[in-house]
Amino acid sequence: MPKKSTVLLIALIFGIGALFASCAGLQTKPTAANFKDPVITLDYIGPSYYEGFWYYGKAKVAMGKAPKGGGSSPVTLEFVFDIANPNGYPILLDSSQFFLYFDDYELRIVKDMNEMWIPAGKTNSKVLNVTLTPFSTYVKFLLASKELALSRGDKPWDKITQWWTGIPDMSFKIDVKEASFSFSANGVSKVVGFSATYHR
Amino acid sequence: MKMKKFLIGLVAVVFLFGLTSMALAKVIKVGGLKDTTGATSDVGKDAAVGQAEFWSHYVNDHGGINGKKVKYIWFDYGYRIPEAITKYKLLKRMKVAAIMGWGTGDTEALSPTINKDQMPYVSDSYSAHLTNPKDWVDKKGKKHLGTPYNLFFSSDYSTNARSCLTAWYDKKWKPRGEKRKPRLACSYMFGSPYASAPIEAIKNHAELLGFEIGPDQDVSLFALDTKSQIMALQKFKPDVIWHGNTTMSVAATIRDAYALGLRADHIVNNWGFDENLPRLAGEAMNAPDALTVMGATPNGFFGQECDLMDEVVKYAKKINPGIPLEKRICRTVQGWANGMVLWEAMKRADKAGDLTGPGIMKKGFETMRNFHIGLCTGDVTYTADDHRPTGGCWVQEWKDGKFQKVEFVDVRGRWPKQWAKEWLGW
Repeated sequence: MPKKSTVLLIALIFGIGALFASCAGLQTKPTAANFKDPVITLDYIGPSYYEGFWYYGKAKVAMGKAPKGGGSSPVTLEFVFDIANPNGYPILLDSSQFFLYFDDYELRIVKDMNEMWIPAGKTNSKVLNVTLTPFSTYVKFLLASKELALSRGDKPWDKITQWWTGIPDMSFKIDVKEASFSFSANGVSKVVGFSATYHR
Repeated sequence: MKMKKFLIGLVAVVFLFGLTSMALAKVIKVGGLKDTTGATSDVGKDAAVGQAEFWSHYVNDHGGINGKKVKYIWFDYGYRIPEAITKYKLLKRMKVAAIMGWGTGDTEALSPTINKDQMPYVSDSYSAHLTNPKDWVDKKGKKHLGTPYNLFFSSDYSTNARSCLTAWYDKKWKPRGEKRKPRLACSYMFGSPYASAPIEAIKNHAELLGFEIGPDQDVSLFALDTKSQIMALQKFKPDVIWHGNTTMSVAATIRDAYALGLRADHIVNNWGFDENLPRLAGEAMNAPDALTVMGATPNGFFGQECDLMDEVVKYAKKINPGIPLEKRICRTVQGWANGMVLWEAMKRADKAGDLTGPGIMKKGFETMRNFHIGLCTGDVTYTADDHRPTGGCWVQEWKDGKFQKVEFVDVRGRWPKQWAKEWLGW
């Protein structure tokens, strides 16, 4: 004859099991047909690290080794997106990626591969960061942006000066283009494209 | 008492079931080091995007590694070698099984480390310096360390150079019926490990075919104006110029050659020969009196008719709908082709129950014999003694507004003795 406590324990185990089962039953099962596109909006872009605008060529440093081509002021920008999940089940944000443009000049890919669950019907914030320097930006003028600069008659250092001194006010056009946010739920995956212009 | 044992047993079964599920849900990590912002970003961005489409989506949609999901983690290192080394260490701490690398500078700089770490490293550098898995001594008596963990799918740069020069000699020079020696000059960035990697090989091949070799021209990867180099070449009057740089500076050099009336033909290594080249070179490649421009094409152009190409295009549309298809180029295809060989090696190693670095090499890569990738690449073979994946390369030409096949040069078949005994590793 089992003890009363043992009987209660068995009942408790089955009770919890039944509760989980009923909860699972209430939630919609994700399928390709019912997986609605998450809604993405760009909340803001802001500098999270900024040293103004400076650069130097050859330098004698007190310690370590100065970069061969000189150094220039880094700036770290954060891009804050709101991502709303309109589905009746949680979804996993697998990865986020976009291309960053200043005044139509493509600067670089910004990406993040840290996963994040978004509960059913809720909105999460996703923050992506990028660090740029005037020198690394100048390289883009020599490659991908060369044609555009020539056609517009823009001088690379003038543009870079304008951007680096304009960062506190965000006084130039910033585009987030060709973005790709990748989601999944229960083995069903979905990619959502996105683009936005930020000009304060 | 019996009931207590039963309950303990039940809890143990549930616990074990949970662990088994976790094991089944095991994720295999693959790392990536790419240049999307630095000196080679003109070709690196598309390659990086394509490779991410392949690993994060195509592979997982097609069973991962024998049912195990792949997590692809990649970083932009901006073509800065110290950053590549730092990010390599990070990937190692993240316990990736293998790495998709990028340029010649960082790949050669990391080579001793990855070989010591036994980390399979599939790079987009196709330098022949990475193809000899054993330690070896060159003609001058210099000792070289073997690179057993360095791999790629493509014909190496030296084979590309030999193929281009041979195709030009066969199809352009011979029909002219000239009695004199043809003249070759090389245009590349002397300080770039990528650009300088096949120079010794192409000069060796030029001597083999009876060329006269002119002075090399130093052209930066960032070159906007190459008129001084073209004027220097005008004195030598080359019949053909080898370009070892990437697309932007190759286009600038071809434009200046056309503008200054230097009527030499041009042969280009694979990273300088893509869909953007005819556009950037403008009249020099498209006018009625356009220059002859041929190049090494170890894989098909984006959308070209090849096995598996429909999947490349499909995933480009699906995963990056914001990037217009006309901006996609053969670099995406190269990213896929390199991914395909590592994926196959990992599946074979995993099936053999050994997904370690040595397992991926010995039970994966080195079991491949004429493995068919598709994408208009050559079929690949890796052995324990030789990591040159293919023995030749398709050479194509931009003509009448499109890329056209000129010749598949089977370097291994035409020079079997040199291929087997002399040319491995450089």
